[in-house]
Amino acid sequence: MTHAPERITLEEWDVQYEKLHRAGMREPRYGGPLSRHVEDGDHRLGRLRYDNSAAALRLWNFLLTEEDRLHEARAAGNKIVGTMKDLGTVPVMAYCFDNVTAFYPDGAWWIPCVMEGSDGSLEVADSLGIDESFCPVRAMLGAFVTGAHFPIPDMLICSVGATCDDFSAIAQRLNGLGHPIFWWEIPHRRCPERDEAGVILPGGLTAPKSQVEFVESELERVKAALEELAGARLDDERLSAGIAQANRVRQYLAELRNLAFTAERCPLPALEMLIAEMLAIHFCSDRPETIAVLGELLEEVKVRANAGLGVLDAGAARIFWVNPVADLQVMNLLEDCGGRVCGTEYLFTHALDAIPQDVPPLEALARCALADPMAGSSIDRAERICADVRRFGAEAVLISRIPGASHCALEGQVISEVVAEQLDIPVLEIEVPPVTDSMSATLRTRLEALVETARCRRRTTQGIRRSG
Amino acid sequence: MKTIIYTCPYVPAEWIAAHGLHANRLLLGRVDSGFSPARAEGVCPYVRSFIGEVMNNKGADGVVVTTVCDQMRRAFDIIVRHCDIPVFLMNVPSTWQTLAAQKLYVDELKRLSGFLVGLGGKSPSKDTLAQTMLDYDDTRTSVRLAREHLSARRFAEAIAAGGSFKGEAFGDGSSGSGHPQPIRQAQGSAALEAATLRVPLAIVGGPLMRADLDLFDMIEQSGGRVVLDATETGERGMCPKFDRRRLREDPLPELAHAYFAGIPDASRRPNNELYRWLKRELADRAVRGIIFRRYVWCDLWHAELGRLKDWSDLPVLDIDSAGDNAMDLPRIQNRIRAFLEMLQ
Repeated sequence: MTHAPERITLEEWDVQYEKLHRAGMREPRYGGPLSRHVEDGDHRLGRLRYDNSAAALRLWNFLLTEEDRLHEARAAGNKIVGTMKDLGTVPVMAYCFDNVTAFYPDGAWWIPCVMEGSDGSLEVADSLGIDESFCPVRAMLGAFVTGAHFPIPDMLICSVGATCDDFSAIAQRLNGLGHPIFWWEIPHRRCPERDEAGVILPGGLTAPKSQVEFVESELERVKAALEELAGARLDDERLSAGIAQANRVRQYLAELRNLAFTAERCPLPALEMLIAEMLAIHFCSDRPETIAVLGELLEEVKVRANAGLGVLDAGAARIFWVNPVADLQVMNLLEDCGGRVCGTEYLFTHALDAIPQDVPPLEALARCALADPMAGSSIDRAERICADVRRFGAEAVLISRIPGASHCALEGQVISEVVAEQLDIPVLEIEVPPVTDSMSATLRTRLEALVETARCRRRTTQGIRRSG
Repeated sequence: MKTIIYTCPYVPAEWIAAHGLHANRLLLGRVDSGFSPARAEGVCPYVRSFIGEVMNNKGADGVVVTTVCDQMRRAFDIIVRHCDIPVFLMNVPSTWQTLAAQKLYVDELKRLSGFLVGLGGKSPSKDTLAQTMLDYDDTRTSVRLAREHLSARRFAEAIAAGGSFKGEAFGDGSSGSGHPQPIRQAQGSAALEAATLRVPLAIVGGPLMRADLDLFDMIEQSGGRVVLDATETGERGMCPKFDRRRLREDPLPELAHAYFAGIPDASRRPNNELYRWLKRELADRAVRGIIFRRYVWCDLWHAELGRLKDWSDLPVLDIDSAGDNAMDLPRIQNRIRAFLEMLQ
């Protein structure tokens, strides 16, 4: 750590970049000033606030150069696999092959935000009958049609069954446009019946052994398809080694989350934490580099936490965030309103929990896939949220609805009810479209109200404690 | 007799009836749920009505919900928390080609059996199940044979009544005994002759609600007639004819095969069987136009609209519904009239 931690603008990053360079900062080959990405059309970057560390710079540059990496991988003869929907399971397998690069085309849902709608991907989706009543992930359809973002994958693998209808429907539309998809089934996770054997999943949930076996058989099909594409066998030893590498990523993230969410002063802004967590799902198309990026970020956070330094006021309201936001700027907005993120559930907790290493590797991945919060009930999800709220000491829960998403229409109420029953803390639900500029005043008011309520309750609780 | 309510075509009525229970596949009314989550923005009107129906239902002893659509899957979470009626969530796989997916469906039927037994049902012998399947098969055959003698609306009502829909929706056609009844009413020959002069249309989409049956009248009044009801509550959602040899050998696998493999739907992955079925039926019935009926916020069907337009040479009319009859009707009426004027 060479500078006092703070959140800075993109313009300020240019100055900071020069300072870091003069101080001898060494960058990876994808490095450079952040502002250069705006010239590529990433206009939203100009409106965000960033952590000022070299580690954060590396994180951002790693994220924003993924398309280049995918094109380079294609040019180098690698097979490109588009893994869809399962968020964190199939890439663990795919990255065990030397000549396969996997990524989530689903990530295109941030394109309308980052490019502030200038790329036209949503308009393309509109023209294909996938309008704004669908989740912003419809931008993926536009990205496939224009071919302007990622290379068209050699193979598409998509989980279906207990998933959201938006994605399933959009993927089927994509399939109908001539992009064949390898579908694999993820059943709705349920509790074992009285006479059924159960298996404990990562994260602590239990599922029937028969469901784990079924998912394992589905993943066996996926493995066979990948083997055929790669022209190589994937044995247990190699898959286990891949799981161990994925667990290194997850271990770093577990430490990072623990420090970022529990330190007295917030050592890393919510936006950088969101991006760091996202790396877990497909390693941003480069697994070794993901480990290096997270390692550096963790070191920075450790130094800050040990020194009692942070990017926000010590009294920031501690908010647990549910669902990823379509507009990244809203993560900044919460902090601008006096809040800090203390716990997250971005729909991929199963990509953060350690993959078991004491069972056969394919079974381990099956357990992991079944732990997907989307595969189970909203009640299970709410229970996990409550457990993590307690663990990280959050004072309020913020649910950000994804516009049009099939799961958001009903689950918010269930989560709110369960949180209220178990924790008696405030819950606020907001809806976040890809670009929130026209509604930022409303959003700010709602977030301020949540922060004020959390702080007010803190004072009341402290008062009761003192008087008691 | 205890009553089990459900809406999904992948729940075999025979399986429930063979347990000695009354299988009541609901043809939903527009029950606007008074329950606040079901009124939330983004909730499909059909799901909202289903939640409302379950919450208000006084006669049901059990509810079966399936995972065929995500909102229904999540409706289970609402119902299980706020309703005293026992509820069962049946996992219906989206993929259908693999033996593992087919076995998963059979296993879910067996788990459903446990739920039904828990409600007082009796696990059926092979003979009981086989006989129940034959009864239902005969009724569905008579319904299919009656198609050419009934108006489109009456045919839709006959499917509903014969396919174990809620009988009281129609006043006749259901015995209330849990077993289907044969078709009794037929259209006069003069009316049928007049009907053949109208433009033959298909109606394609998810489930209709009771009030939606007015659509058939509306289409007839505008000079068309529905010759193919490819909605979930129509012919498309009917279980195909059983293979009687396999049925006699072992009825449960045949029941599972007929339902799981025989009902084409937008939710299947891939859903090319839906288009294969449509291609055949549209040609057989000499359909000249398609009315595409969908609910606002139903992603599964909404996404098919563009594909259907690309796929079909026939004109397609999109009729969306927010579940508000008063608001919907005049608009729908105008659109149907204009569509038929173009086709006549």
